[in-house]
Amino acid sequence: MDTQTLAKSLIDVDQKKKYFRIHRSAYKSEEVFQKEMELIFNKCWLYLGHRTEIPNKGDFVVRNVAGRNLIFQHTRKGEIVAFYNACTHRGAAVCWDKKGNTKVHSCRYHGWVFDTEGKLKSMNTESGYSDDINDDGHLDLPTARIEEYAGLYFVNFNGDKAISLHDYLGDYVRGVLDAIQLQSPSRDMVILPGEHAYSINANYKLLVENSADGYHLGPVHQTYLEFLQERYEGSKDADVHGTMSNYTAKGGAKAVGNGHYILESNVPTGRPVGYWIAPWGPEAKKEIEATRARLEKEVGFDQMEYICEMQKNMVIFPNLVINDILATTIRTIEPTSAGTMKVNAWCLAPREESDLLKSIRLDNFVSFLGPAGFGSPDDGSMLNSAQRAINAAPTEWTELSKELQDVDDLRVATGLPDGETHMQGYWTQWDLVMRGIETLEK
Amino acid sequence: MSNSGAISRAEAEEFLYHEAELLDDWRLQEWKDLYADDSRYEVTSTDCEDPLSADPAKALFLVADKKDRIDGRANRLLKSKAHAEYPLSKVRHLYTNVRVVGHEEGVTKVRANFLVLRSGYDREQTTQYMGEFHYSLIREGDAIRIRSKRGVLDLNSLYNQGQMAIIL
Repeated sequence: MDTQTLAKSLIDVDQKKKYFRIHRSAYKSEEVFQKEMELIFNKCWLYLGHRTEIPNKGDFVVRNVAGRNLIFQHTRKGEIVAFYNACTHRGAAVCWDKKGNTKVHSCRYHGWVFDTEGKLKSMNTESGYSDDINDDGHLDLPTARIEEYAGLYFVNFNGDKAISLHDYLGDYVRGVLDAIQLQSPSRDMVILPGEHAYSINANYKLLVENSADGYHLGPVHQTYLEFLQERYEGSKDADVHGTMSNYTAKGGAKAVGNGHYILESNVPTGRPVGYWIAPWGPEAKKEIEATRARLEKEVGFDQMEYICEMQKNMVIFPNLVINDILATTIRTIEPTSAGTMKVNAWCLAPREESDLLKSIRLDNFVSFLGPAGFGSPDDGSMLNSAQRAINAAPTEWTELSKELQDVDDLRVATGLPDGETHMQGYWTQWDLVMRGIETLEK
Repeated sequence: MSNSGAISRAEAEEFLYHEAELLDDWRLQEWKDLYADDSRYEVTSTDCEDPLSADPAKALFLVADKKDRIDGRANRLLKSKAHAEYPLSKVRHLYTNVRVVGHEEGVTKVRANFLVLRSGYDREQTTQYMGEFHYSLIREGDAIRIRSKRGVLDLNSLYNQGQMAIIL
């Protein structure tokens, strides 16, 4: 049975009067949330894991995606697959480890054994079943459709009906992912060990918005910017307040199609790939200069500068954040109810990067991001507060009007970095999907 | 190497309880002065498989502060614009099972368990952080100082806690 789409739009937009508003039921209604699960999370490409998390045959990672418990598996034959972690017999999980390497997954309940492709190999009994009981494969673990781009594996619960990941991501997102891959001379970005796993009592879209919001940087992260400025004291290389007061001079907030968006901006944190700052010392400078020279030769000056210097906060619709900022990070936002979410994050680095720059990358990450950083907890606090207020206040609409552009399709538009143009693109797509106008199907 | 500089369990306990009291009272300017110039304050990630030997230069931690960020953390949390801890939450640091587990070259290794309780304004529930500490303590003149403090959480995630802006 098809899920009923939203009959009425929850977006109120008037480009002549220059406003873009979101009805706050989109952030708090359990009914809207259930529809989102059906219409968005069951149809979009959702991040599952990274190629380098399961490098060897037999490697696996168990992960929750949109409420499903999946095994992300490197098979003994060398393929990458994903299947459900639930025995086809009586439903128990076939894998109780979070990650590992194995030849088979054996159900602990009645001993059914599945190979690394999810095929049923043994029912742990000699009697009671007909020999051809699984000839049609219905007792194999059900697989989920996955596709990969730039080492990132995505899953789609709409099976063969869904458009390809390639088309879903579109040219701009793929271009940014390519640019990130180029940090590595062999295009080999790896996930470093260690995961952040935390939560915020707020609707997941509040963190989606916050993850690439240039407007909030000054007010929310003042204490972080002050900490940066103190570190730079005595260095002529960085003037935090000067750069921030000129924040809108460079970059933009871009809606780049299909609901995806990116904030490209200039924040003086330093970037291990190619933007050196004095506290990192001369060895780091040498390596960064070599990377810049390599990239200029490979892709030309402009693209080198984009890869090395531009801060990129990218949202892949509906709930993946790739932040290539002071570190390169993958952040998934798993909605658990209309008003709660789980957040997981990892650090990406070029395989060839020196131990020194990797350590700077990790140090940058934890300095600002994560549940104990100098930035993320303040964001979390904003979102907790917003959710409580949204639940309780009479204000019906959220005002997301800043930098509304006069274009036909708001899903492709650019505004100043401290605007909300890019988020308007996300919400436009959200609205079209929720009303069944955009099906994300072939 | 003589053991004359070794810190006794009684001294270590007294010192750790003092640290806990400073944190409970949000006297963070005094707290940060417990840390030696080349010190570290660290908390490993909740999925870390080898939390005692893990290296923050190679793996993502939750906290990996050297002295400049220990100072920065103390300074930041006391500012009214540190939104995650505004107004300051109520915290109780229970440090227990303190044991001296080694002494080498002027550094005394101390192990302790912890339970840190937080009642903040952002969540209705009281949150709990529990685990073990691994300290390296040194003497500086008459005073004891922290060379390193590594917290290892008995948690598989911070899903129940949300965030961890407070100091353990």
